[in-house]
Amino acid sequence: MTVQIPQNVSQETLKRFILTLADDELVLGHRDSEWTGYGPILEEDIAFSNIAQDELGHSLVWFTLYHELGGDHPDSMGFAREWSDFTCCRFVAYPKGDFAYTVVRQFLFDVAEEERLKMLMDSAFPSVREIAEKLSREEAYHILHSQGLVERLGDATEESHQRMQQAVDAAFPQALGMFETIDGEKELVAARVFAGNDILKSEWLKRVIPVLEGATLKVPVRSANGSYVVTCAADEGGRKQNHTEHLRQLVADMQSVYRSIPGAKW
Amino acid sequence: MSDTQWETYEVFHQARRGDPHEHVGSVHAPDPEMALQLARDQFARRLKCVSIWVARSRDITMTDYQDESFFAQSTDKSYRDPKAFDAPAKTESE
Repeated sequence: MTVQIPQNVSQETLKRFILTLADDELVLGHRDSEWTGYGPILEEDIAFSNIAQDELGHSLVWFTLYHELGGDHPDSMGFAREWSDFTCCRFVAYPKGDFAYTVVRQFLFDVAEEERLKMLMDSAFPSVREIAEKLSREEAYHILHSQGLVERLGDATEESHQRMQQAVDAAFPQALGMFETIDGEKELVAARVFAGNDILKSEWLKRVIPVLEGATLKVPVRSANGSYVVTCAADEGGRKQNHTEHLRQLVADMQSVYRSIPGAKW
Repeated sequence: MSDTQWETYEVFHQARRGDPHEHVGSVHAPDPEMALQLARDQFARRLKCVSIWVARSRDITMTDYQDESFFAQSTDKSYRDPKAFDAPAKTESE
């Protein structure tokens, strides 16, 4: 299948961009799947298992486009690639932590994903536009779930508040790593494939800050002229493939079955 | 420490508009909105579904299995049964 790609942007830049989207979903999906059998309540165990499958499904959609642009097959991208070649942000690779951390991370990720998909619905790249429309319907539901838990757990009990605050303290600087500039970003913006991570970050802040603060959680930002200024350093590096040890362990885990019998048919 | 279990909600599922909502099970949830979301995950992900109802289990008033006389039929009422003709499952217009 040939994919119609927009003018003024190289295939390599497009592939790189698509890969960052696919890798984020794959790695977070794997982390979510780690709750299967361990959820704090049966219903949440099942909900997170479902979300894990949804995120893996999203990653497959992006990997398939990556493949159509001349990249490797989705299976080998997921299961036979070196961990140091992943392009996900560091944020998605951190261990699942307690349920509060998982909920906060999922909320911060879901809003970024939904805002990104909204932006991509106006992309000059038709394949990306179609995918964005398809995935955003499911994403709206993810936000209902994760935002609902943030709002309820933020001030439910002293312990839940304390755990949620610790989760925000840990996750917020990490989450900013989602907006690390990617290789070729100027080219993508100029070709109107993607409006860019700076715009995405400010849209994201406008949505997540009121929800977190409404849930009585403190966030390292201050308001200035109707927008938010972040007052902590972003945990970046993932887009440059400068990962933490956590990703190495996750990838080793995720690939162990596939690598045990190379080329096996299931 | 007090019981930290969420209360239960009964879940009713409708496969097509116009069909009756059928009871499919229950979920634990902190409030009705979360109950709807969790019910979606438990019951609407694989079954075809256009609508879900949830109701707090404790809001349902029910009969007691011990109280058999509630349903007692002391005299022959078979003449009331509509068994002398066949009723089609669907009408012609459907």
